[in-house]
Amino acid sequence: MLHPRPGFSARVSASLFLAAVAVGTVVPGASAQEVIRFGAPLPITGPLAPEAVKQQQGYDLWAEQANKAGGITVGGKKYKVEIVYADYQSNTPRSVQTTEQMITQDKVNFMFGPFGSGAAKAASTIAEKYKVPMLAATASSSQVYDQNYKYLFGTFTPNDTLTTPLTNLVKAKAADVKKVAILARNDLFPLAIAQEMEKSAKANGLEVVYSEKYAINTLDHSATLSQIKSLAPQWIFVTGYTNDLLLIRKQMGDQQIKAGVVTMIAGPAYQEFIDSAGASAENISSASWWHPAEQYDGKDLFGSTANFVKLFKDKYKLEPDYAHASAAVCGALLQMAIEKAGSLDRDKVRDELAKMDVVTFWGPVKFGGNGQINSLEPPVFQIQGGKPVVLFPEAIKQGEFKLGVN
Amino acid sequence: MLAIQVLINALVLGCLYACIAIGFSLVWGVLNVINLIHGSFIVLGAYLAWGAYQWAGISPWYALMIAAPSFFILGYLLQRLLLNRVITAPVLVTLTLTFGLDLILNNAMIYYFKADYRKLILSPPTGSVSIFDVIVPVDRLIATGSALALTFLLYLLLRRSKVGRAIVAVRLDRDAAVLMGVDVKSIYAIAFGLGAALAGCAGVLMALIFPISPLTSSAYLGKAFVVCVLGGLGSVSGALAGGILLALVEGIGSVYLGPAHAVTLSFVLLIVFLIVRPQGLLGRKGFE
Repeated sequence: MLHPRPGFSARVSASLFLAAVAVGTVVPGASAQEVIRFGAPLPITGPLAPEAVKQQQGYDLWAEQANKAGGITVGGKKYKVEIVYADYQSNTPRSVQTTEQMITQDKVNFMFGPFGSGAAKAASTIAEKYKVPMLAATASSSQVYDQNYKYLFGTFTPNDTLTTPLTNLVKAKAADVKKVAILARNDLFPLAIAQEMEKSAKANGLEVVYSEKYAINTLDHSATLSQIKSLAPQWIFVTGYTNDLLLIRKQMGDQQIKAGVVTMIAGPAYQEFIDSAGASAENISSASWWHPAEQYDGKDLFGSTANFVKLFKDKYKLEPDYAHASAAVCGALLQMAIEKAGSLDRDKVRDELAKMDVVTFWGPVKFGGNGQINSLEPPVFQIQGGKPVVLFPEAIKQGEFKLGVN
Repeated sequence: MLAIQVLINALVLGCLYACIAIGFSLVWGVLNVINLIHGSFIVLGAYLAWGAYQWAGISPWYALMIAAPSFFILGYLLQRLLLNRVITAPVLVTLTLTFGLDLILNNAMIYYFKADYRKLILSPPTGSVSIFDVIVPVDRLIATGSALALTFLLYLLLRRSKVGRAIVAVRLDRDAAVLMGVDVKSIYAIAFGLGAALAGCAGVLMALIFPISPLTSSAYLGKAFVVCVLGGLGSVSGALAGGILLALVEGIGSVYLGPAHAVTLSFVLLIVFLIVRPQGLLGRKGFE
């Protein structure tokens, strides 16, 4: 027989409920000075949570640096930066609601886009409706920009700018690579990259012997990898996120799969992939939109790439990757546009963004007519001796392409 | 040769699935509680193995001995202090409670361990063995052996010990067990503790194989759910049969239909079983 004590149960349930509830937070700026509010909808909880952390760190670093320098100068007056964060729980429809709420209720002046291409495309409709400039830090698919919205800008070039230089490099350095196997996570960005890879491989006369996608949350790839092994490709190209790629790399080792070239996107761009994969990361090639080894001398708040990397490392004790950098550069670009416009008028700031042509720590920034950046040359790199080494573009090359992944 | 390799892969993976599912199956079978915190327990066990190896140099084999008693106590206390209060309520109430507990544990893990993926890399690596061109990774073999040993121990416990007989008695007929003098609440707590201990041990073994992150808990829970339905609830050998069946279907499906359809196929199988054989492969009618 049970003897429930409702008082106790109610107390427990109430405290559990309170503990479980996540709320939107505001990073406080200074209270006395006037502020400019930037809305940043992020997937703080749910499967995309690690990505939200990266973007948040980038925005926070920018806000901190901008405020340290006294704030943003608008017509001779200094304004503090305040970033308004809200959690859309890795749920794209909710990112749209969150964006609208930020514009109408939180009264933000400018917006950052939510994570990834899908959510950025969805939320940009709202920014367009209210005529609020929105900078998307992590949206690469050209479908995001084909709506020709006036107020949406993005700092990632189209996906083919990653795969084309990779294929060119492999063609030039590894003449015996004839057969390619492509394995992609069944998700917007990884699938788009894989499709570009397939196009690029075929255009360069390579035979695509395997091209399949795996489901999100796949726990085991042994059957797939056994099949790939039986086809003996010289180039294995895999897309996915850190967990997928770590697991696939581990299982490739388990099954003693060897290939001349193994490319993984996007894992190796992240330090946690390199740390977790250990020796098995050796000679894996990849490409991303930015790399800490780049050497740009920018006109933005951060100045040089080296200075950005130093500030980031000082604050977070880790090496920044392209997601951190893209978020920070979005803040820096908005700041430049606002200062140049000399006004908080959204249309004026939008016009400044549209005609922007400037070098930043991120690289040269110029937006195309559709809002997507078209001035950037994304680097190709390879893990050598536990460190990423840039192979392309020539101007920032750090080493030679090495063949053989065991 | 590919067919044999895929078959061996599936057998090994099936034992790992059984290891993931067995604690979940025990709790569902005995307590009629769908324990949604099970996946997070596995992840917590994986972090325990990772932390013990990373910081104290304790090998995962010894970490099993730490995980089993500590997770038993954790599970026992959870059942005693929280779940026993609502155990007689409709299944939705306990489901909601374990859902809430899972949210708390999972978010606490994201907070403390961050959502980054980590990997336990043994030094020196265990490598793979090759028999007639069929390759089996040693860590999976060891995990499979441990999973089978744990399953056998649980089987012995349920069959031979007094507590085990009491657990089986409560599972078969709660009211009759009460009349025979079995302290049902205590048996519930022991069964939940055992379930948690098995989850913790599964986590330690999975740490050798899969990347570790709080975000993987739902994948473990999903597998446990399917394996239980396929194998039969509360049945020790059923979890093993369900695990192997699921791994076989996924393996063959991914080779012949493509990896994207392997998961779809496993859930189609789940629906077919729910319609045609709701008691599972080795479950008995009336316990579905």
